[in-house]
Amino acid sequence: MLAQPMTIQIIDQIQPMIFDLATRYRKTLRGCRYADIRVQVDEGQAAAAENGGSKHSTRDYGFAIGIRALSGNGVVAPGYFGRSLGAADLDSMERVVKDGLRHAHHRALANAERKTSARAEFGPLADALGSTTLAPIDIYQDTVPAQFEIDPRTVPLDELVALTTETSKRTLALDPHVKYTFISAFTLLTRELFCSSEGANIDQTFALTQGTCFIVAHGTSGTQELYDYMGHQRGWEALTRGVHEESIRFPDFRTFCANLTKDAVSLCNARPLKATDREVVVVTDPHYNTLTAHEIVGHPTELDRALKLETSYAGRSWLFRNLHEHQLGQPIASPLVSAFSDPSLPGYGHYKYDHEGTPATRVTHIDRGIFTGFMNSRQTAAILGVPPNGSYKATDASLVPLIRMSNTVFGPGERDPGEIIREIPHGYYLVGHRTPSIAESRENFRITAMKVYEIKNGQIGELFCNGGIMADTKDYLMKVDAVGNDFRLYPIPNCGKGQPMQTKRLGNGGPTMRSRARLTGISK
Amino acid sequence: MVSTAELAKAVEQGLAYLRSAEQVTEAELFAASNGNLLARLNYTSHIPCNGVEEPKSSESYGLGITAVFKTEAGITVGFGSEPSDLSLDGVKRALEKARRGAVADPEFSSLPRPTGERRRLRRYHDPKLMKIRDEELVEVGWRVLRGSLKTFLNSPRLMELAGAQDRIKELGLIVGGDVTIQQERIAIASTAMPEVQTDESTLIMAFITAMVEAKASKGSGCSAGTRLDQFTDAAGVEAAQNALAAIGGERIKGGKYTVIFGRQPVADFLNNLILPSLSLGNFYSDSSPFMGRLGKRVASSRLTLYDHGAQRGLMGSKGITCEGLPTGKTRLIQRGKLVGLLASYYEQQRILRDPRSIEKLGADPNEHGGAIVPRNGFRFWAGGGRQFGVQPGIASTNAIVQGGDQSLEELIGTVKDGLLVGRIWYTYPINGLRAGDFTCTVVGDSYIIKDGRIVAPLKPNTVRINDNILSILSNIIGVGKEVKGTLVWAADEVIYTPEIAVRNVRLDEIASFMEQL
Repeated sequence: MLAQPMTIQIIDQIQPMIFDLATRYRKTLRGCRYADIRVQVDEGQAAAAENGGSKHSTRDYGFAIGIRALSGNGVVAPGYFGRSLGAADLDSMERVVKDGLRHAHHRALANAERKTSARAEFGPLADALGSTTLAPIDIYQDTVPAQFEIDPRTVPLDELVALTTETSKRTLALDPHVKYTFISAFTLLTRELFCSSEGANIDQTFALTQGTCFIVAHGTSGTQELYDYMGHQRGWEALTRGVHEESIRFPDFRTFCANLTKDAVSLCNARPLKATDREVVVVTDPHYNTLTAHEIVGHPTELDRALKLETSYAGRSWLFRNLHEHQLGQPIASPLVSAFSDPSLPGYGHYKYDHEGTPATRVTHIDRGIFTGFMNSRQTAAILGVPPNGSYKATDASLVPLIRMSNTVFGPGERDPGEIIREIPHGYYLVGHRTPSIAESRENFRITAMKVYEIKNGQIGELFCNGGIMADTKDYLMKVDAVGNDFRLYPIPNCGKGQPMQTKRLGNGGPTMRSRARLTGISK
Repeated sequence: MVSTAELAKAVEQGLAYLRSAEQVTEAELFAASNGNLLARLNYTSHIPCNGVEEPKSSESYGLGITAVFKTEAGITVGFGSEPSDLSLDGVKRALEKARRGAVADPEFSSLPRPTGERRRLRRYHDPKLMKIRDEELVEVGWRVLRGSLKTFLNSPRLMELAGAQDRIKELGLIVGGDVTIQQERIAIASTAMPEVQTDESTLIMAFITAMVEAKASKGSGCSAGTRLDQFTDAAGVEAAQNALAAIGGERIKGGKYTVIFGRQPVADFLNNLILPSLSLGNFYSDSSPFMGRLGKRVASSRLTLYDHGAQRGLMGSKGITCEGLPTGKTRLIQRGKLVGLLASYYEQQRILRDPRSIEKLGADPNEHGGAIVPRNGFRFWAGGGRQFGVQPGIASTNAIVQGGDQSLEELIGTVKDGLLVGRIWYTYPINGLRAGDFTCTVVGDSYIIKDGRIVAPLKPNTVRINDNILSILSNIIGVGKEVKGTLVWAADEVIYTPEIAVRNVRLDEIASFMEQL
């Protein structure tokens, strides 16, 4: 007998059982102090085309569980279990989840025993090995629906194939300099269930639609490889009609790809930018500042980095040396600069509850130049003695959540962006982010731009390719002397963190800003 | 974990069904079961912590079908998969997904065909790693952490710096990283290669970072193998020893230096810049810095690089690819000359028919078939092993830089004013892959060399490298003779390399404001 069709409605069917296992069954596991269970079901479709030829399309589902247990007879420690599932697991779902709970619990118990042994073996060096504690939160039972006009499940798969293939053909034919195009699109619904032994029972559904464009063009100055994404937590309409909201604006996907292609053609015939040994005046547009905010504000304000949990992977934070030496309350930017993470804003970083049931909260990181706070989880909030702010997210239920940005942005200013450029005798205007490279504790960065224009006497002049800027983070932020009123949000679809690495979608943004930095160019 | 026999049975029965399925002219069935078990460490002597922070696992199994359909509209090809179901029902569901998603790919020629090479590697996994228990997973994490803590506890240098043993913790000791165990089982057969093939591999590896944070010193340690019995605390001990050795780091001025790159930086260059540039897919898309250079010099004659997926005992070895083809040795750069590329069957067939192939490669692929043998079609995904739910892409297995004739001491002896760089970070092609420009920062395990000897540690996070990979490859002036395996965060391949000395590397001093915090 064929298993039943796998849809996001399965959550309705299994929710009482999952809640019961998290609350009542958990009590049967001796020494288990806390447990939570996350279930995720995705329904989506995708298509991709290269050089005008269709390559792939799919309509499929995803289904996964992730379990955390905090256990110990005395000292408490964590243990986890994750698994991808299929429709065939539905008939034995209770057994599968119980089995996962037992694995997580046994790992936590074994972990607690060894932590206790290490405390005895290493004396003062092991004083920091304490019992795992979660900061308290209000417990919620809630259902959060997805927002969309065109249900991702109702779009004919042929429509995705046609859109990607035709767009790939058109971009390839747009100009003889174009040598390669890759176009992809997906639209999906994700439904997430979170149940904890504390009684949380949260059911959230998200729509997500994204288009990707990668163009290779060859011209007089060599080859340009440009890529960009557009997308939103909305239905298929995000690509067919574009997005026309206050802070998120995209044309329809075909136009978006055509614009990027034209940029690639212009750039492959533009002169490469020359690097400078000294700082120059730079104006950066909202798209460029999306990546700047991501790298020099978002990442160093993740409390797991600050508390050294990412020392071996994604790095630490220059904002926090230890519990006594840190930058909280200190000036780290010009008084014109404010920055925050706000899950209530629309876009890729929008959500109501994080993956441990904490209500999503706006976190102010920089308030008029003063560093004010980190994104956190319940465990890291307990260490710092602050309230949890709902920033603990995983890319898939089978993976352990990490502290993640929501919509992390530079706040808007009051200046007209045109005026910010017009008052410069000489400088450079960086438009669109390209590729970042950030120092380990985020104290220095080099980020390339899609396009760099010279500014002469307040006028935008020659276009250069392969340019960017390099600066020390604090110096750069302190030297900001103008912030525009043109705040925008953009999607970041590929933020890597954790082990195994989780590639997360989130939102970043900001307005036009002006500061000083060294220009970077080609290295040959 | 699902047994190899169960996977093989599912593939055999499924293929029999696919042979008679309506409109199906070709089909391939790939079944896999993967376990990724990981003990993630976080020890901080000065901040509350768990020691072993995350003992965890992620498991999956299922099957994937690639099918070619003869329809009224012409030939189409599709892929579909079904998780957690190896029955005929699962096969039917995956086939319907493949049928629903099938497209007319104008560059598709056929599903993989035998290459004429023979499989060389069988029965190389460790049964104990396949059956590791929850307690053992936790134990391997603590074993490595205790190695670091013992090293710190017994360090006279830390005692001297702290003044008393109970104050050592105030120096901000950090141990992070993980022990990862990978369990992989696959079975594959197709209408073109109907005999069911299976493959089973295991891997245990540790990558550890230790710090004495108050002294801004950082050290790394890694170990990797295929056997649980051989796993020790070596990575933890090595990381702590390297952190202790790096105490007292100094800054340097920006400029051009001779740099001896240690194994991790070479691995980072390979993973982020060189191996992608040697992928046939990036030649198709005009994105490799080696475009048009097949058969021509691309590096110093001191450099020889190859991929070898069939060498017993190496961590990245596999018996067969995820296309069912034998793994083997692919020469990539031979004494500085580009002689081969990493290929999958699809990309090999596509470039053979590409009207721009000679322009792209610099040679006619039909006359240089040995340079593009499909030995690297794998279904790796998100560090989770060989996944049934994805189609093959190109991945290296064991990327091996051939050892030279100088010891590390001899290499250091040749450097008048330079650096030994042991760990770099965030190495990205900053202006697109083809331009070759890259940047990264030096984050630990590094030393200043004067007049042929090490004179001081280099302070971490004070130098950024801004250079071009083609220049780096051309400016190699020495290759060490001791080849060892090393790991790169989130990489699928394992790198075996010695140290490599390069002249005229461009460095910029960074983050001087940190000295005033």
